[in-house]
Amino acid sequence: MSQQLASSDSTTREKREKLVEVRDLKTYYGDSGMFGGPPVKAVDGVSFNVFRGETLGLVGESGCGKTTLGRTLLQLEDATGGEVRYDGTDITELNSDQLYEWRRNAQMVFQDPDSSLNDRMTVGEIIREPLDVYEWETPADRRDRVRELLETVGLRPEHYFRYPHQFSGGQRQRIGIARTLALEPDFMVLDEPVSALDVSVQAEIINLLEDLQEEFGLTYLFIAHDLSVVRHICDRVAVMYLGNIMEIGPTEELFTDPANPYTHSLLSAIPAPDPTDTAERITLHGTPPNPRYPPSGCPFNTRCPARIRPPEYEHLDDEVWQGINTLRDVLLERKRADRSIRERIRERLGRQTRFATVEETYDELFGGLQIPANAESSIEQIVEHASNNDEEAALDVLTEEFGSICESEKPEYHTVSETGRKSFCHRHDGEHRQPSQVLEERY
Amino acid sequence: MSDTQHEKPMNDEEIRTDGGTDTGESFRQRVMDNPKPGAIWLTVLVLLIAPELGRFVDWMLALGGGIKFIFDGFVAAPAWIGSNFEDSLGFVAGAFATDITALLMLFVLAALLRGYLPFHPDTRLGLDLSRSRRVWFERGFLTTVFAAVTAVLVFTPLGALLRNEVGFYVGVLDSIGDMQTLISRETIPNHGYQTPAGDWEGTFLGLSPRYAWLTRFLLVWVYAAVFIGWLWQGYNVFREHYRAMDWTPRDDVIDRLRSHSWGVFGIVVVLGFIVLALFAPAIATYPIQENVYQPYAEDSEFKYFNEESGEVEMAHHGDANLDSRSQGEGSGTVSINEYDEYGRYAPLGTTPSGEDMMTHIAYGAQTSLTIAFVSITIAVFLAMLLSLASAFYGGIVDLMTIIGTDTIISIPIFVLVLMMSVVFSQGDVWIAEPMDGGFLLALIYAFAYMPGMWRSIRGPSLQVAQEEWVDAAKSYGQRPLAIMRKHMAPYVMSYLIIYGSLLIGGIIIVTSALSFLGYGVTEPTPEWGRLISDGRNAVATESWHVSTVSGAMIAIVVTGFNALGDGIRDAIDPQAEANATGNAGGGA
Repeated sequence: MSQQLASSDSTTREKREKLVEVRDLKTYYGDSGMFGGPPVKAVDGVSFNVFRGETLGLVGESGCGKTTLGRTLLQLEDATGGEVRYDGTDITELNSDQLYEWRRNAQMVFQDPDSSLNDRMTVGEIIREPLDVYEWETPADRRDRVRELLETVGLRPEHYFRYPHQFSGGQRQRIGIARTLALEPDFMVLDEPVSALDVSVQAEIINLLEDLQEEFGLTYLFIAHDLSVVRHICDRVAVMYLGNIMEIGPTEELFTDPANPYTHSLLSAIPAPDPTDTAERITLHGTPPNPRYPPSGCPFNTRCPARIRPPEYEHLDDEVWQGINTLRDVLLERKRADRSIRERIRERLGRQTRFATVEETYDELFGGLQIPANAESSIEQIVEHASNNDEEAALDVLTEEFGSICESEKPEYHTVSETGRKSFCHRHDGEHRQPSQVLEERY
Repeated sequence: MSDTQHEKPMNDEEIRTDGGTDTGESFRQRVMDNPKPGAIWLTVLVLLIAPELGRFVDWMLALGGGIKFIFDGFVAAPAWIGSNFEDSLGFVAGAFATDITALLMLFVLAALLRGYLPFHPDTRLGLDLSRSRRVWFERGFLTTVFAAVTAVLVFTPLGALLRNEVGFYVGVLDSIGDMQTLISRETIPNHGYQTPAGDWEGTFLGLSPRYAWLTRFLLVWVYAAVFIGWLWQGYNVFREHYRAMDWTPRDDVIDRLRSHSWGVFGIVVVLGFIVLALFAPAIATYPIQENVYQPYAEDSEFKYFNEESGEVEMAHHGDANLDSRSQGEGSGTVSINEYDEYGRYAPLGTTPSGEDMMTHIAYGAQTSLTIAFVSITIAVFLAMLLSLASAFYGGIVDLMTIIGTDTIISIPIFVLVLMMSVVFSQGDVWIAEPMDGGFLLALIYAFAYMPGMWRSIRGPSLQVAQEEWVDAAKSYGQRPLAIMRKHMAPYVMSYLIIYGSLLIGGIIIVTSALSFLGYGVTEPTPEWGRLISDGRNAVATESWHVSTVSGAMIAIVVTGFNALGDGIRDAIDPQAEANATGNAGGGA
């Protein structure tokens, strides 16, 4: 997977120098303890490149792992697997001394300007601290440098002796940016730098960031969930879902002609300012799966609007499909849940337990729906297995009858345009119809 | 803290132009530019100190004595460990163990002081080491330097010379400390005798002892009030003329504390308590040496007017005490504001053993203050270190701290203190000597109260460890200790001040309770709790004052410390008052 990604990148963008290469990066939380259970897979095998001087956007729902990815790139989190090459060196392998030397190359702008500045220190002390850590020149030089930085980010040298409390959100974010600039880094991770600010201030900060990029030749990884901001500032965009990159490619192209079903649904969530716009919204059902138990196959398969369906059920009603998906979630959940002995006994005795009976679930999901006979018999079979507490068998039937490649196999990254844009979906493999066609038809 | 100045719009006109604008200026430069207010303040301060110079020097010497005591303990440690080895393994092993222990202690000292090295020795030597190697190199370098200095001091006559030199300076200070001060027993004596004619001989201006003592007593408070007021004025001068910042978050806290009347009451009581302890020699009616410690010594003899014989005679404090015992009915009780048969004035009456109560109360304040201050300082330091380390590192460090402190917490605090004080005072260890067990008690409190303190600041520590500025500091490679010191400690410190001031009250009560039971601070060191214990049988009699006065003092001081804690809490976090009233005391 990573090989393929890297090679297609190099064919399309040979001219540009790779600054950061990420290969199959994994960051799992909570797998250290004995009693932790399976780890939370915040970043689950991600590969991409960041080219020198560009702005790479990273978008996705909250909780999809984009902030963790950014923090792992700066080694604020330890990677569980994979590598991050910065200018050719794998920084996940550095020892503490080398890491200390490397850190001045890469800095981070944090999301919340209220929390990223220590408000017991003056602005001058805050901006000076990185310089002190690296024992940059003499203390007098450091003070001069801080005043210079304050001017660079649009503040005044007199603000040296003020406290963060005395500034507005936008000004505080400027202070944070000045601090990251102090050591003259090449690479900056901007973790939702404007999402906590007023809209008018957002524009100012975005412009400042663009100016700084031009002036100092910075490379940005811009993490955001505001798609319009991303479209404005980014050269390329990566779309993340549940620890995976679903699609990555040049911004304009990705926004005008998305390839991946997830990108489609994400973009359709942008409100259109045109009242005559009649395009149907793609609504995603349910919530993203628990990253501790990600679905097998494609991470998006539980909610995908363009999921590959078995041919005999291709034209099954959408609501029925939705019911089947929910039923599968419920079965998986039941399978995972540890039933205490007490609960088993209560169940035997016909008392109520904290698990609803499968029949209740069935009624809730499929009550009042027209279900074709062949589908109905399969569903009934599933329900029967489940009511005998044999979730394993029920799931087997469900997978056999309603499953597809989406659940059984992890997709590959398919190059979907000449610019090297890649999408993580089975539908690009040539055997199935393209996502856009399917979505057109289903919505 | 964010309400007054938060999000105040900035405009250029607001930026001050009177010297605070140039960011390059140092404090020294600002003083040079505008020396007048500072000079005036300093002159008045010197004028204030001058008449009481002897007393200030005495305090310094007492502090130095405390430091020397701890220092001597450390110096004695290697030889002590060495001798233990020598007993079992022979001379060579003993000498070896002594040296190793000494080197280890010097290494710890070097590690603590390394950050203050003004230059990097490795760059001077032309080595270019990586960061962690440099740290080890510098630690080793400093240890070597310290070891060399120690060796020179121990094995050459230079050490003896230095000791002589230090001894000489201490002697000079001692003689300054002996100088008569304005508000002292020598200047305003209150102990005299009546002539057959009825005049007072030997008292200040021939006043009766009652008024002579009262004059001195009031002068102490006036002096202390003026002095503290002038220190506050000094802060204002600094804030107005010499501070680079127009405003700091602390300004708001101070303003809120000043307008918090309950907190101000606490400050006044606590300051009064401290003044009572510091000025004990001047406030005590008689020198404690003569009245309490050595009542039969030669110095403890005094003249008095014997009414029976009608003549002026001599008596020892010890004998006089026997006739002035406040033990209930028919014991010759001397109550509040009375004279005994020897013409000795007792502002608060006498104790059951006939000693002067005022002397006991004043010196008892010294005992309580020292114990409370030493134990709280150690406990605060340890609790902060543990909570910051466990919040910052998490994982196994956190777990070990939890297990360790929970083990201590599981024993009821009073039982723990009682057990430890019995064990240590029976064991007759050297730390049990100062203050008749008071210092030992302070160490025991530090050990017993530290886990509770750690518990109560655990939440705030974990919270501040999650702040993004801690991540930011990590992202530019700040060292863990520096992150804890600069980015976490200031936020936890305010909680520790609150809990500390609340705990001081608890410590004073527990000390008194221990003395009441006959443990803790033993005779003859004065202690308030022992006074309650001694006088409790006579509460219903004419000797009611013994338990009542000491009990009231404890109640007032403890309330004062609690009020101070409440005041600081409300000043630091105005929202906390509305949210959770019982929260702050939770850990105590």
